[in-house]
Amino acid sequence: MPLRVPPRDPRTQSQGVEPGYAQTARRWPSQPLQRRPHTVSELSGPSSVLRRLAPVRGDLAGHGAKRAIGQLIHLRTRVVDEDGAPLPGAVVEIWHCNAAGKYIHPNDTHDAPEDPNFYGAARMVAGDGGLVELRTIKPGAYPVPGTGGWWRPPHVHFSVWGRVWLSRLVTQMFFPGEPLNEADAILNAIRDPEARERCIARFVPSENDLIYEYQLVVRGRKSTPGMP
Amino acid sequence: MKRLVPTAEMTLGPFFPREFAQGANDLTRVEGRQARGEAIEITGRVTQADGKPLDNVVLEIWQADAEGRYDNADFFGWGRAATDAEGVYRFRSVRPGAPAGRAPHVNFLILYSGLMRQLQTVMFFDASPDPVLDAVKPSTLRERLVAKRQNNNTYTFDIRLRGEGETPFFDD
Repeated sequence: MPLRVPPRDPRTQSQGVEPGYAQTARRWPSQPLQRRPHTVSELSGPSSVLRRLAPVRGDLAGHGAKRAIGQLIHLRTRVVDEDGAPLPGAVVEIWHCNAAGKYIHPNDTHDAPEDPNFYGAARMVAGDGGLVELRTIKPGAYPVPGTGGWWRPPHVHFSVWGRVWLSRLVTQMFFPGEPLNEADAILNAIRDPEARERCIARFVPSENDLIYEYQLVVRGRKSTPGMP
Repeated sequence: MKRLVPTAEMTLGPFFPREFAQGANDLTRVEGRQARGEAIEITGRVTQADGKPLDNVVLEIWQADAEGRYDNADFFGWGRAATDAEGVYRFRSVRPGAPAGRAPHVNFLILYSGLMRQLQTVMFFDASPDPVLDAVKPSTLRERLVAKRQNNNTYTFDIRLRGEGETPFFDD
């Protein structure tokens, strides 16, 4: 059955210009977005971007004397489509700041210490069941310069390739119980409370590890509308 | 089957790892082999509402090979580039052929700090009939999706995110 990509539900996605996030008003188009038919071009896509991008690390926490500072966590992310069908082989890029809220990036001017044992970026391939498991440390919070007190809550960035060109997903994952979640302009751009809640990872109690589970749903479905 | 709602998209942010943004903008080669077809360069400047060029914008493209076929053993039509301090991006590629029912074109996806969702647009080589180009309304905007050919097989495709001369973008 061919893949279909139904239109986005506007309640579950940002509409572009967000109060509290000034750059959106300079960068999001002022004109309504155009509608187009879906042809072979939009409904095909790279079989695997690993034909052009190399896998990068799979463990950001390090080992032995090279351990990153911070709370060790295990992030278990599942990549599925709109039918809930898992996507083994999906490529996922993951990046986040260190435990002090500092990215390894020349544009990060935040006065927080770097951690020589933390790199902060991985490119992984989903295994059976669409599962991507990353051992890392919990990222810290940091202020957004020039905003008068907007602090980003701890979050993890994801970039995912689904089945076709229109399935591309770039998003952020949040942690449960963080007070900064309540006022974050990016998380709260998602108006539908259930859709917003799905952007927050689930903590899984475990004897030996701090485990967070998360699900990434990429666009596209094969099932017929209205079928049970 | 119960339908799951696609995850909410959020901005790439200002700190996309530099090493992720580099080294994937040459579509003329895949797995050490040279792609067949007419080598071209696609370049342009990305600007925001006040006309300021934007640094570190991530652009991804998806196109067919010279015969109009997508992903195959001899060609990989996906690439990624990032803009420099002058807002300029650059891809090397081959001029795509016409896929079934379409005029030759290159799909663009734009990711950036301040863009809460990916922006999608399409570059065409001329204004030939095409179901996606012809869907752009009003029709006077269509010329903004046609690249300008310079000498040496270089095509210029500037992207204005917002404001005067704003590029038409697609919602799907």
